Amino acid sequence: MLLALLGLHAVLAAAAPAVSRRLGRGVFAVCAVAPAATVAYALARAPAAFDGAPASETVAWAGRLGLDLQLRLDAFAVLMVLLVSGIGVLIFAYCAWYFGPRPDLGRFAATLLAFAGSMLGVVLADNVLVLYVFWELTTVTSYLLIGFDHEKGSARAAALQGLLVTAAGGLVMLAGLVVLGEAAGTYTLSAMLADPPAGGAATAGALLALGGAFTKSAQVPFHFWLAGAMAAPTPVSAYLHSATMVKAGVYLVARLAPAFALLGGWRELVVGVGVATMLLGGWRALRQHDLKLLLAYGTVSQLGFMMILLGAGVPEATRAGAVLLLAHGAFKAALFMVVGIVDHQAGTRDLRRLSGLGRRMPATFWVAVVAAASMAGLPPLFGFVAKEAAFEAYLHGGIGPIGPIALGGMALGSVLTFAYSARFVWGAFADKPDVARAGHDGAGAHAPPAAFLAPAALLAVVTVAIGVLPSFAAGLVNAAAAALDPAVEPGTLALWHGFNLALWLSALVIVAGVALFARRREVEHLQARLPSMVDAAQAYHGLVKGLNRGADRVTGLVQNGSLPVYLGTILLTVVALPLPALLSGGLPTPDGVIAESLLQLAVIGGVAVAAIGTVLARRRFAAVLFLGGVGYGVAILFVVQGAPDLALTQLLVETLSLVVFVLVLRHLPENFEVHHWRLGQAFRRAVAGLVGVFVFVFVLAAGQARTSPPVSEAYLAQALPEAGGRNVVNVILVDFRGFDTLGEITVLAVAALGIAGLVRARRRERGDEEPA
Amino acid sequence: MTLLAQIPPLQIPDIAWSAISPELVLFGVGILALLLDTAGPQRLQASFLVFGFAAAGAGYIALSTEQSVLPGLVGLAALGQFALTAIWRDRPRLLSALLAALGFAGAIGVTTWQWGAYSGRLVGADAATFVGTDSLLGGMVAVDGVALFTRVTVCLAGLVTVPLSFAYAEERRIHRGEYYPLLLFAATGMTLLASSADFIMVFIAIEVLSLSLYILAGFAKRDLNSQEAALKYFLLGAFSSALLLYGIALVYGVTGSTNIAEAGRAFSSLDAPQGMAVAAMALLIVGFGFKTAIVPFHMWTPDVYQGAPTPITGFMAAATKAAAFAAFLRVFVGAFAPLQWSWTPVLWVLAALTMLAGAILAVVQNDVKRMLGYSAVAHAGYVLIGFVAVNRAGVSGVLVYLLIYTFMSLGSFGVLALLERRNHKAMAIDDLRGLGRRDPVPAGMLALFLLSLAGIPGTAGFVAKFAVFRAGIEAGHAALVVIAVVSSVIAAFFYIRVIVAMFMEDVPEGVAAEAPLAPSTGMSAGIAFSAAVMVAFGTVLPFLLVDLADQAATFVS
Repeated sequence: MLLALLGLHAVLAAAAPAVSRRLGRGVFAVCAVAPAATVAYALARAPAAFDGAPASETVAWAGRLGLDLQLRLDAFAVLMVLLVSGIGVLIFAYCAWYFGPRPDLGRFAATLLAFAGSMLGVVLADNVLVLYVFWELTTVTSYLLIGFDHEKGSARAAALQGLLVTAAGGLVMLAGLVVLGEAAGTYTLSAMLADPPAGGAATAGALLALGGAFTKSAQVPFHFWLAGAMAAPTPVSAYLHSATMVKAGVYLVARLAPAFALLGGWRELVVGVGVATMLLGGWRALRQHDLKLLLAYGTVSQLGFMMILLGAGVPEATRAGAVLLLAHGAFKAALFMVVGIVDHQAGTRDLRRLSGLGRRMPATFWVAVVAAASMAGLPPLFGFVAKEAAFEAYLHGGIGPIGPIALGGMALGSVLTFAYSARFVWGAFADKPDVARAGHDGAGAHAPPAAFLAPAALLAVVTVAIGVLPSFAAGLVNAAAAALDPAVEPGTLALWHGFNLALWLSALVIVAGVALFARRREVEHLQARLPSMVDAAQAYHGLVKGLNRGADRVTGLVQNGSLPVYLGTILLTVVALPLPALLSGGLPTPDGVIAESLLQLAVIGGVAVAAIGTVLARRRFAAVLFLGGVGYGVAILFVVQGAPDLALTQLLVETLSLVVFVLVLRHLPENFEVHHWRLGQAFRRAVAGLVGVFVFVFVLAAGQARTSPPVSEAYLAQALPEAGGRNVVNVILVDFRGFDTLGEITVLAVAALGIAGLVRARRRERGDEEPA
Repeated sequence: MTLLAQIPPLQIPDIAWSAISPELVLFGVGILALLLDTAGPQRLQASFLVFGFAAAGAGYIALSTEQSVLPGLVGLAALGQFALTAIWRDRPRLLSALLAALGFAGAIGVTTWQWGAYSGRLVGADAATFVGTDSLLGGMVAVDGVALFTRVTVCLAGLVTVPLSFAYAEERRIHRGEYYPLLLFAATGMTLLASSADFIMVFIAIEVLSLSLYILAGFAKRDLNSQEAALKYFLLGAFSSALLLYGIALVYGVTGSTNIAEAGRAFSSLDAPQGMAVAAMALLIVGFGFKTAIVPFHMWTPDVYQGAPTPITGFMAAATKAAAFAAFLRVFVGAFAPLQWSWTPVLWVLAALTMLAGAILAVVQNDVKRMLGYSAVAHAGYVLIGFVAVNRAGVSGVLVYLLIYTFMSLGSFGVLALLERRNHKAMAIDDLRGLGRRDPVPAGMLALFLLSLAGIPGTAGFVAKFAVFRAGIEAGHAALVVIAVVSSVIAAFFYIRVIVAMFMEDVPEGVAAEAPLAPSTGMSAGIAFSAAVMVAFGTVLPFLLVDLADQAATFVS
């Protein structure tokens, strides 16, 4: 059934373009069927999953590689499915109103649905490699969605940036997951977590896996791509960049943390990065003028918050994290939808050009107030419940110095969160006299149709409902947290815990947040004046540019198209590797005699002189003649040795090559090229000399290496008695190796055939071209 | 009478022709195609002559050995070629192409038969006819999993190259009679290389395939780029062959044998000077490194790939690599495994260099064909990971990788050939802008191949990459896999740049509207087949391929 649900996503996505041609915007209703069915199934399976009987399916894919399509729906997966598919249904409803009629809606709906299916795959996967496959599919679909307005150069750049950052992180994660899988002996996620591997390899694997989680969830220092991703249409931001995809990293960390949090460095790293992200995101959000960017940095901040809770592997914090996941999904998606409505109705989302919208679209205003208040952590809303649980978890202590750091970070982060939540509502809806005076009084903006607002309103209602009656969600949260970490004890969720430390902390946060919001101008000025720290986005651009430039240089240097350079590289490698090996046992010394007679010695001397002449000659013709001299000298050696047949062959071959050379030389300049670049000349000489040394040593060594008697002795001994021939060469050709000769004749026949073909082709080219 | 009685009865050695039956098929069809082309207008007569000889031979075999299957097949083939010649006697190129395609298909069929016997599914007399599993042809040829798998890879590559070439060669006016015979001869050399069990055979096979490829690379003889490609390939290839021969000589010197397995055994029990053994291996690495395009012996690759006719480039990139890696594997992972302490560090470094250099150099290329040439270098580096793993998972990973790479490479070069046909020029990335909107199907296919080359999950390329990465990690080469990951990230950048240009950028203003693409049937079929194989064995049913490769990951010893 799980597989069928994934299949339904794929099928509907494939059909979407065709559907949109017929139904126009109705395509979104068709697409919504898939996530709706998923929610229904998840709810139906939820009781069993809560009781610890998760639904699971396995389909063989590439089993020998550890790749099998294993899916599992446990209680935590139910929570994630509700987020992914539940919000998905709402987003599709929202899309139908957000977009005007345009021709590429079908493509958009298809990609969005493909994304929803991929994300569903991520949370259902019970095999780390399958998880990775779906993980990268979300990256690719997200890339297509960010770059949907592909006429805009900025959208394309942002899409590519998001893709490169998350795909790179994903590959690092893959390496980590494979190391973990090898260490654990299984790639099944549930089995790996039930019996987690330990030791150095497991630590390395777990930390590498964090690379993927951090990039995907936009943690410092990878947070910049999420801001860029706001180039996407607003429904995409609401869905991918707040409610689902960016939570994939948090999801993975949440799964792994209970098993690996105690490995060296994990907890410190995750909490440290989480705190840094929460603070940086909140701080940056306070200076944004674009409402969408404000929310994007808010999301970065909240993702850090979730990382602190779900990544530490502390049971109570895990439970608080589950609450926050749900709460954030509800309020942040609602806020993004509100931004989309504002943008749609008022034509801008720059808070310096918006004024008076609160009066003109009161329903939207109230939805925004509820969602933002939940984000700020005000009672009696869901966000408040989540924050209380979070403070509560870390107030107990017991995890060393990390606890206070996490607590302090969360408190400070919450102050910032309160301030930017207030800034959001103020920026979008307040009456701003100076803005109104400048002519941007929002007079053209009127309230959106009820159906456009409905999805956001529904999420706001959920926020209030669970805030007032948190026990609604308690069952889900308890079961989900227990599915992550069996050590989690079921607890109740409550709005009112009495006057405890957590409540005082919340009060403090609210007071500080109000103060911060009141001094918003000073904060903005301060941020403008502070020297901007090394920006990760700049680092990314520097890296991409550096790669391009570096590659350019390297190419120019090593790949200049020059044949001598190519050849020199190969030859130098030969000299560098085998020559030392050959010389390792000392220079091989020839045993036996060097020359058997004075005549031999003289001929050898002549050959040597001719060889040196070849190298020194300036004219091509002279070089060829010297080369011929070498060959003829060798032929004389054969004669001296008593092998006239061989000498004859050598003479023929030598003469023939000389003739060919002369024929070719007619088309070449008379002299060799003279190189004016001294260093190049010296380099060539050095290479040539070294190769000469190599060949010399090689011949010496090869001559020494004989281990068995040469075959020639046997032939000499057998030629007369067995074949009745005195000429050994002839005997070999026609008798001992008769079949070889037969083969050679066959080869000659084939060659003749080829030559005949060439001749014919020549004739054809002159005129009578045949048809193909 | 007395004289005759004195002559002892002729001892015809029992030659296991069946061991090289795929090569015989390829070579025979190549000769036939050459003969029919040479015969010109008399080709029908020539074909009938061939039919007559073949039928007589088949009849003789049937009578003398009382076998029916083999002679039957030979007779059928002879009749088939005559029928084809009779039908298309006025269209010699088409006839050649058809024969070549049938030759590749026939070789795949014979190899499948061999596979049946090898894997034990086919037993009895028929099995023995086609496969012997131990010493064959005097220990010259091995019929083992690696050989059989690679033969199929090479023949599939040929089978796709034929239809890709037809219209392309016609358009560029380079459609000459030798084209298909040369393709078949090159494939003969490749399959022979993959099954060589002796260094002498390795050398002969390399020469057979190289000589054919030198000519094919320069087939567009009026194109300066093509000439340059052929010349560079030839000169550098000649040097590397010589170095390989040096290495073989040293191996023989140290071990007293040119048989690969025997040399390996002699190496492992060596107590004499190690220096010469190391030098021998280094020279062999140079020779194989050149054929497989490993850094620093890769420099010819981009120049040659760019200059050669595009379908030939695809064939070279895919099939040569598969064959050379098979022989490389047989020598080092198969025979020299006991000496791995000495050569794995070298190949480890070369693998890292190859992956990084290939990816980095590809980034700045604007010519798509050249970019794919560099990317081929990077892919050789990924294959090397499975190589240095020196285990069964590594060998099967290499086999899977090479088969999948074959289709990725042929497919992408095939689409390029299609585009070049229309534009009558090499394709730069800028020329691809807006292609996705004008010609969505070819653009989509190219995108599929490129995503697969990038190793995006869900594509065949991912399965391939994962297979070798996993083998590497299993063997403890985690650092190398990390380098591979870095290289993949860089590589993803330039593959995706092409996709962005096709789908997200518009045709620049002022560029005249191009003529609509008119893909020939053959090209469409070749590209579609590649895509279908990739989706089938990469995305939907990878376990079939992975299991097969795992069965194949054995060497005869």
